[in-house]
Amino acid sequence: MFDRILDPTGLSVRPAGVASGARRLPSLAGARVGLLDNTKQNAALLLAEIGELMTSRYGAVVTIRRTKEMFALPVDEPLLSEMKTACDVVVVGVGDCGSCSASAVADGITFEREGVPAAVICSDAFAVTARAMAEVHGDADFDFLMTPHPVAVLNPEQVAVRAGELLDVVVARVSEEGR
Amino acid sequence: MTGQATEDPRVAERAIEYVYRQGWTDGLPTVPATRERTDEFLATTSRPADEVIGRLDHLKREVTVELAAINSVMAGCLPEYFPVVLAAWDALMLERSTMGGGWQSTSGPAPLLVVNGPVRRRLGFNSTGGVFGPGFRANATVARAIGLIVRNGLGVVPHVFEQATQGVPGRWAMCIAENEEESPWEPLSVDGGVTAGVDAVSTTLLRTSEYVDNRHTGDPEKLLADFADTLSRSGSLIFRNAGAGVVFCPEHAQMLANAGMSKDDVRTWLVERCGRTKADLARVGKNGITENGVRYERGDGDAEGFDPMFAADSPQNLPIVVAGARNAGMSMVVRLFSNWSGVSARVEP
Repeated sequence: MFDRILDPTGLSVRPAGVASGARRLPSLAGARVGLLDNTKQNAALLLAEIGELMTSRYGAVVTIRRTKEMFALPVDEPLLSEMKTACDVVVVGVGDCGSCSASAVADGITFEREGVPAAVICSDAFAVTARAMAEVHGDADFDFLMTPHPVAVLNPEQVAVRAGELLDVVVARVSEEGR
Repeated sequence: MTGQATEDPRVAERAIEYVYRQGWTDGLPTVPATRERTDEFLATTSRPADEVIGRLDHLKREVTVELAAINSVMAGCLPEYFPVVLAAWDALMLERSTMGGGWQSTSGPAPLLVVNGPVRRRLGFNSTGGVFGPGFRANATVARAIGLIVRNGLGVVPHVFEQATQGVPGRWAMCIAENEEESPWEPLSVDGGVTAGVDAVSTTLLRTSEYVDNRHTGDPEKLLADFADTLSRSGSLIFRNAGAGVVFCPEHAQMLANAGMSKDDVRTWLVERCGRTKADLARVGKNGITENGVRYERGDGDAEGFDPMFAADSPQNLPIVVAGARNAGMSMVVRLFSNWSGVSARVEP
């Protein structure tokens, strides 16, 4: 009856995406790990702690650490190229705000499509927006990892505890180990 | 009613409910947009309907003139308001944060639109009593149109891509006209590069607004000191510097002007004095500043010193507007999400 009411979204002309996951590494021994932090408070520290644990317990090597210049926006082409050349798996985080949680998921999907297994860590307060971003980028079931909110106010000891809690799921996300 | 067809108002109810079911409203009823009504809006501009006027690539969304028109119809605008909506949107797209993640921010920022020029009277924009609304169709619906474009056109829907923790009172409702008739100074649009007397819209995103009520002193320096206190509130300091504006009521503006102060003089006075001591900042855990300019709690920080609030003495950091009635000395400090672009957009004649 109301088909003459115009759609204000423009969504009827939106193209659909295609889901595409990278192949998991059989083992992390000798694997090159990239860490991509987004400037959010404690993000770099949490990723560094996870990187150290991946090194000490699984024999991986952290080969590249980078910080996104614009936490709200997905990773740009030069940084993507640099990272995919320098590492075999990537850990991205921490999605701890309205826009950066969504963009972290977009980054993870991009790395996966480029053949690099990606573990994306988001605060659990942003699960809905992270999932919505996965849908927008054509991979509705993209498997991001969650840690309890908040992250920003943790002290260094608490960050280290979080890293320990996340280690196994990060490893299982990017490799066949621990699955 | 003889000779007129009887129309069933329940058809309107059903149409309004249909739009709700599609998820296209901001919570209030909308005017269902028909092709005919939308074409009346498009006829007010020389711009083609398919011109892209905004985009969020990371959300894979874009806004055309046509989508802006549909959402303006829905907001309750009249067709002749549409060039003002387009100018407001153009000005908004010049803001650094609107093309990034600003709309998704937990701070839930809200645009303040400021209308200058003869268009204010021609279309009935309120510039005097109760300027922050509600009660005036032009002010209310132009502001709302912007909100509907963000929601529907850019796809930034609350609880999904819009992640405001609490949001900002007055979001999508702040469109004020400057009270140029009772302002002692040049209009804001002149600071934005548009000649006085030309229709223009200026805008920036706000985190909130808060009043300064001073009907107590005739001393301009004491009056400005009252503004400096509100401006310097520590709760709003999250980075090295912060931006804020003042919407002066005519009475305050005229008192300052009568003391010989230009708008630039007022700004300079405030920029020189606003800020907090390191000791104040240490008390609230914001005394450190990272390389990226973000404040943090620094245990071994200096107890001495003063952190100025404003990064620079410019309209981009501290825009000044005059609006409201000349019936009391109460003005509004507006808290900027970032800095104003410093560029006003002309309204197409």
